[in-house]
Amino acid sequence: MLQLRRLLREIRGGELLLLAVSLVLAVASVAGIAGFAERLKLAMGERSLYFLAADQVLVSPSPLPPEWLEKAENSGISVAKTVSFRTMVYGSAADPADEKMLLVALRAVSDRYPLLGTVQFSDTVYGNAQESAGGPPRGEIWLDSRAFAMLGIAPGAEVEVGEARLLASRVLVDEPDRSSSINVYGPRALMHSGDVASTGVVQPGSVVDYRYLFAGDTAQLDSFAGWLEPKMLPSHRWRTLTDNQPALAQSLDRAESYMLLAACLAVALASAAIALSAHRYGQQNIDRVALMKSLGASRRYILSFYARQGAVLLGLAVLMGGLIAEALQGLLFQSIAQLLNVEVPAGSWRPLLTGAITAGVCLLCFAAPPLWRLSRVSPMRVLRRDQEQDNAGLAMPLLLGGGAMFGLMLWFSNSVALSVAVMLSSVVLLLLAAALVLLCIRGARSLSTRMAGSRQRLAISNIYRRRYGNAFQLGSIALALMSLLSVFLLREMLLKDWQSQLAEGTPNYFLINIAESELAELDGFFSENGVAHAGIFPMVRGRLSHIDGVPMADTDIDANTAGLNREVNLSWSAELPSDNRLLAGKWWSNTAHTSTDSDRLPVSVESEVAERMGAELGTRLQFNIGGQTLDAEVTSIRGLDWQSMRPNFYFLFPANSLGRYASSYITSFYLPAEQRPLLVEVMSAHPTITLIEVDAILAQMKEVVSQLSAAISLIVLLLLVCALLVCVSNVQLSLDTRRQEYALLRTLGAGNRFLRATLFLEFAFLGGLAGLVAAVGANLCLVALQIWALDMAPRVHLWSFLFTPLASAVLVTVLAAGYGRRLLRTPAVALLRGR
Amino acid sequence: MIRVDNVSKTVRSGSEELTILKGISMEIKAGQSVAIVGASGSGKSTLLGLLAGLDSPSSGYIHLQGEDVTAMTEDERAALRARAVGFVFQSFQLLPTLTALENVMLPLELSSAKGARERALELLEQVGLSARAGHYPRQLSGGEQQRVALARAFVVEPDILFADEPTGNLDAVNGGHIEELLFAMNQQRGTTLVLVTHEPHLAELCERRFEMRDGQLAEQH
Repeated sequence: MLQLRRLLREIRGGELLLLAVSLVLAVASVAGIAGFAERLKLAMGERSLYFLAADQVLVSPSPLPPEWLEKAENSGISVAKTVSFRTMVYGSAADPADEKMLLVALRAVSDRYPLLGTVQFSDTVYGNAQESAGGPPRGEIWLDSRAFAMLGIAPGAEVEVGEARLLASRVLVDEPDRSSSINVYGPRALMHSGDVASTGVVQPGSVVDYRYLFAGDTAQLDSFAGWLEPKMLPSHRWRTLTDNQPALAQSLDRAESYMLLAACLAVALASAAIALSAHRYGQQNIDRVALMKSLGASRRYILSFYARQGAVLLGLAVLMGGLIAEALQGLLFQSIAQLLNVEVPAGSWRPLLTGAITAGVCLLCFAAPPLWRLSRVSPMRVLRRDQEQDNAGLAMPLLLGGGAMFGLMLWFSNSVALSVAVMLSSVVLLLLAAALVLLCIRGARSLSTRMAGSRQRLAISNIYRRRYGNAFQLGSIALALMSLLSVFLLREMLLKDWQSQLAEGTPNYFLINIAESELAELDGFFSENGVAHAGIFPMVRGRLSHIDGVPMADTDIDANTAGLNREVNLSWSAELPSDNRLLAGKWWSNTAHTSTDSDRLPVSVESEVAERMGAELGTRLQFNIGGQTLDAEVTSIRGLDWQSMRPNFYFLFPANSLGRYASSYITSFYLPAEQRPLLVEVMSAHPTITLIEVDAILAQMKEVVSQLSAAISLIVLLLLVCALLVCVSNVQLSLDTRRQEYALLRTLGAGNRFLRATLFLEFAFLGGLAGLVAAVGANLCLVALQIWALDMAPRVHLWSFLFTPLASAVLVTVLAAGYGRRLLRTPAVALLRGR
Repeated sequence: MIRVDNVSKTVRSGSEELTILKGISMEIKAGQSVAIVGASGSGKSTLLGLLAGLDSPSSGYIHLQGEDVTAMTEDERAALRARAVGFVFQSFQLLPTLTALENVMLPLELSSAKGARERALELLEQVGLSARAGHYPRQLSGGEQQRVALARAFVVEPDILFADEPTGNLDAVNGGHIEELLFAMNQQRGTTLVLVTHEPHLAELCERRFEMRDGQLAEQH
């Protein structure tokens, strides 16, 4: 009880405050960020279920036995059905000669469809989307804009599907599970499953895709799946989730890596603050321990006393840190609430446990060494203050703590690369800082002997005398500032990167299946209407059949994950596309190639697919294009940005080299909302061209960017607090060492102005130097991260070399002025007495 | 009670060896009050530290209550101090984060004694500070702080009390009060008192007086 009281008083009195705050911050940042990451994953998982429109989907080529569905419904599971097939739709016109017909991908859906998510529709062709909880009622059909345009009808007209006449009441914009339905890009239609029989189009032998959608709680679904398992035929399969939103996933992935990096840095900074404040607490407790020992306390008692103190402190820190982490998560989720658009699932205890263990390890590794030394204090100090003490410095805790910190980072970032990057750059920075500081101090000292002002001389000689301690302190301030600066610059970079993908005029429509004969007219249409397009690219469909002479089936490449299990688009170009980067090899010269003039054509491969299929420069590839073979050799590897919304290709060949194969063309363009009616015009004129709208994806990405940037700003703020803490601990620690000296100077007649000027000069010099080192370190660290971790083009921020030293000098001087005020006010005699 | 046989203490200062105590021997019987006087740097405090087992001698033996302190480990010496030794220091040495009462309770808590609070309050009453039990050291005057320190020293009912310049940081009036209290409480309990002081009149109050000079001890008669 006495111990708890004493602990609380020491926290209140400021002796343990910094240590306590550092611990709380360590817990809060780790638990907050880890908890956020965990719950974000859960929420994303939940959200992606919307793309299935259900929790689980069973796909079958024929209807399922009704008793299976009854069993599901009896177990409390919601069931819905979709039946998909291709059929002709006939538009009705006043004059039968104007009647048009169109092959559409039709889905007939039951009443409860969709079980999760909503169907989006519009009342006008290419109009704004609205949400509907279900599909069309019986007797109605919803066609997409292209189908309306191509049939030459408007909403409200009647169409014929087989033998049934249905009211084309609304324009279908999107279904939640659209990407999983057959033929994503053809014209689509949605009707009620109750009308299927009356159309008479589904006959035995028709190609029909039946999907059964199930939603319920996990236990119900698991038990149903278990019951179903032995009854399922080989043609039945559960549809697994495939993420069809690479843009969102990539942005979130980056945001998550960023946050983990921030968490690692927060731990590093909190550890530094813990080490410094524990060191200071140890110094402050030397006389107390000596007294307790003189009163009969054994070394064991002292150790257990401080161990209990640490345990209670840790308990308090976990409690407080947990609460802050919870609040932090709340804020983070609030900032991305619209982005997730789902109820955020509750988190587990794991992040808090991670935070608690982190803080415990930090406390043990960084705070234990000074307290261990404390237990060795001689009780003779109660009689003789000059009794020497065992002061091994900060080397041991640094080694011990460095190892612990690395382990912790590895543990919760789960990334060796990230942990090594942070750790190595910290060590390099500390060494760099130490070397630079020693160099600067030496230089400044030789300069100062020629300086007239005694203030400057005293300040410099003070710095010189404590050069090793200063080097360490400056290193840790630099480390703190570097972390902060890196995280800040990284934030700017991520935002810029994201925004550049979403710049005004980013293509929002793709046209594919353009025939060569349509090129001239289409180009004319674009220029007539002032529509900017991303270039019209030729495209040949082909399947990769051999790598280095080995058939794909015999390689150990998983064609499914490599995205090579189907026909891929091959294209050709004389120039390297403007948004592509050449990573290896050489781009071809302008000499013409054709597939007949040599055995093998040069081919340029996209870097990710090259990695997945293990292709390097010189690898031989064989393609099968409509039964013909094409041999190629990899001559270059390209990096490209899939989020650019421009046509991009895995495989590029020299210009015109694929002339003998049947090709079509692809383009993308930007069309503002008010020009959308043009789409009807172009699609009516070219019914065979397929139009893909990416407006919705773009809008979502814009949302992602704005919301993620808010979340990331919060993290920067957290880091700022951590960095400040390190600076405060440092300044306090170094002010302690100045007490005696100031007392002596004061006794010798130094006035307050003199002392203040010395103090300011000293700290401004140290702060400025730390800022310079931090700027160098942060830029180095960022370039490394950009190249190896984030896959971005490296960039150096020159302004940071001027701004950081200035800001740092001001910050450190202000802190020193604030904390030094009491020191400057204390009468010399009190300082000499050590009070 | 206390027996010192041919004790020397040498410390290393840089590359030089400095002998602080040279072959000191003395014997103090239970209940006696002893003053050690001498100039600054003569080795008084070093001797006091050795007698109390705060430090160990370079050579020679010290017996406290029949036990050889020089053969003990640091923790054994701490246990002996907790059991039998009280201290009063020149600079009071109260823990700033504890109240007066808690400071007095501290040695009892160190030896896990029961009823610490009541006994501490009782002692504070004896030094006339029961009304200020909840005050922190910084809220007390120098004289009051030293009275708290006296209460703390006597609360464990030590067999031996070591006092290092107990009035050195006090003015004459406060110093006088502390002297009176110290000797009164000492006589009441029959404690052995070993006192290091500069002040001749304080030394006069003790039954025996030793003088330290250049690391050597001589009894004054």
